[in-house]
Amino acid sequence: MVLIVNTTKDTGITQELQAHIGNKGIEAQIVEAGDMKISHCIGCNYCWLKTPGVCSIKDDYEEILKKIIKADQLWVISDTALGFIDHKGKNIFDRILPIATMYLKFKGDQMRHVARYKKRTDVGLIVTGEADMDYLKKWTVRCALNFESESLGAYSKESIEEAAACMS
Amino acid sequence: MHVLIINGSPRVKKYSNTDKILAKFTEGLSSQGNTFEQYEVSDRKQWDSIREAWDRNGNILIAIPLYVENIPGLLLEFLASVTPKDGSTKIAYILQGGFAEGAQLRCGEEYLVMLSKRLGCEYKGTLIKGDNFSIRFFEGDMQDRVTGPYQKMGEVYGQTGDFFGEECRKFTGPEIFPAHIRLLLGIIFKTIGRIMFGKIAKGWGCEKPLNYKPYGT
Repeated sequence: MVLIVNTTKDTGITQELQAHIGNKGIEAQIVEAGDMKISHCIGCNYCWLKTPGVCSIKDDYEEILKKIIKADQLWVISDTALGFIDHKGKNIFDRILPIATMYLKFKGDQMRHVARYKKRTDVGLIVTGEADMDYLKKWTVRCALNFESESLGAYSKESIEEAAACMS
Repeated sequence: MHVLIINGSPRVKKYSNTDKILAKFTEGLSSQGNTFEQYEVSDRKQWDSIREAWDRNGNILIAIPLYVENIPGLLLEFLASVTPKDGSTKIAYILQGGFAEGAQLRCGEEYLVMLSKRLGCEYKGTLIKGDNFSIRFFEGDMQDRVTGPYQKMGEVYGQTGDFFGEECRKFTGPEIFPAHIRLLLGIIFKTIGRIMFGKIAKGWGCEKPLNYKPYGT
């Protein structure tokens, strides 16, 4: 399943994506999160040490988290700020901590948290504003380490067809 | 010099590892005849005051815990709300994280170089160090053992106004651990580490195994 979380208020982007992938027979779930109540991560560590796997913040993110752990791909559509994804996009990623456990291990030559679930969800980005795309691509690769998965890349809104071509 | 210090952690001050690092760092900074004012991004009631201090100050230091390879969403939200400076303001960063290797923080560091330009500031370096996750679990001497070295870095920054020197570079420690250390640590993680985290969790009132799967497999 391909999960697309749109943190912008522009639902035209997801409609365009649907048009691109609709005839490929891809099972896609779209979450329009632009008006959802999704807090930033407060770093309480409860999801690791007090209520394992469960975020202490009770808002609309829990439904997204439940979908992430079942998705083959997670695509986040985000506005940009300061050359990067904006805070609404970043919060989607910051709040993924419950998919990891407190336990540690080495993955390759670097420390990582042991994953809580078996599913490996690849990660892609689509951004709607001006950003440093080279950096975003690099960041998405690093970001995927937190999912123990692969990066699907970072794409501007203008390259949405390229992103759609990576959805499977 | 007078420095505006922003604690960029979204965790409340009482439990903020970054705040405890700053406590030691500012001891060193003050010992060199410098002054500072400090604010917490975690407290939204301070945001107007921080923006006012942002406009007024020419030396800014932001202390940041790494969140998913970059700055936390809350800090990003705050920084997007400030007015970029005119290029004469100097900005430096303390970037800290839980994982012990320096390599884990480089992606975040790369962004901070770019961020400085976006904020209209002159980049004066990033002090990088991991292995700080345990700070909140320690008190007294045990906590000082982790945070204490930041005092010396506060002195260095207080003298030079940047983190470009060799001492700051060395402060990071190993970029990655050699294979034999990784092997040893891997065994510790699977044994003593799990017991230790289990004990902490019990102390927090945790009633489930730490690898519990609340949403199925």
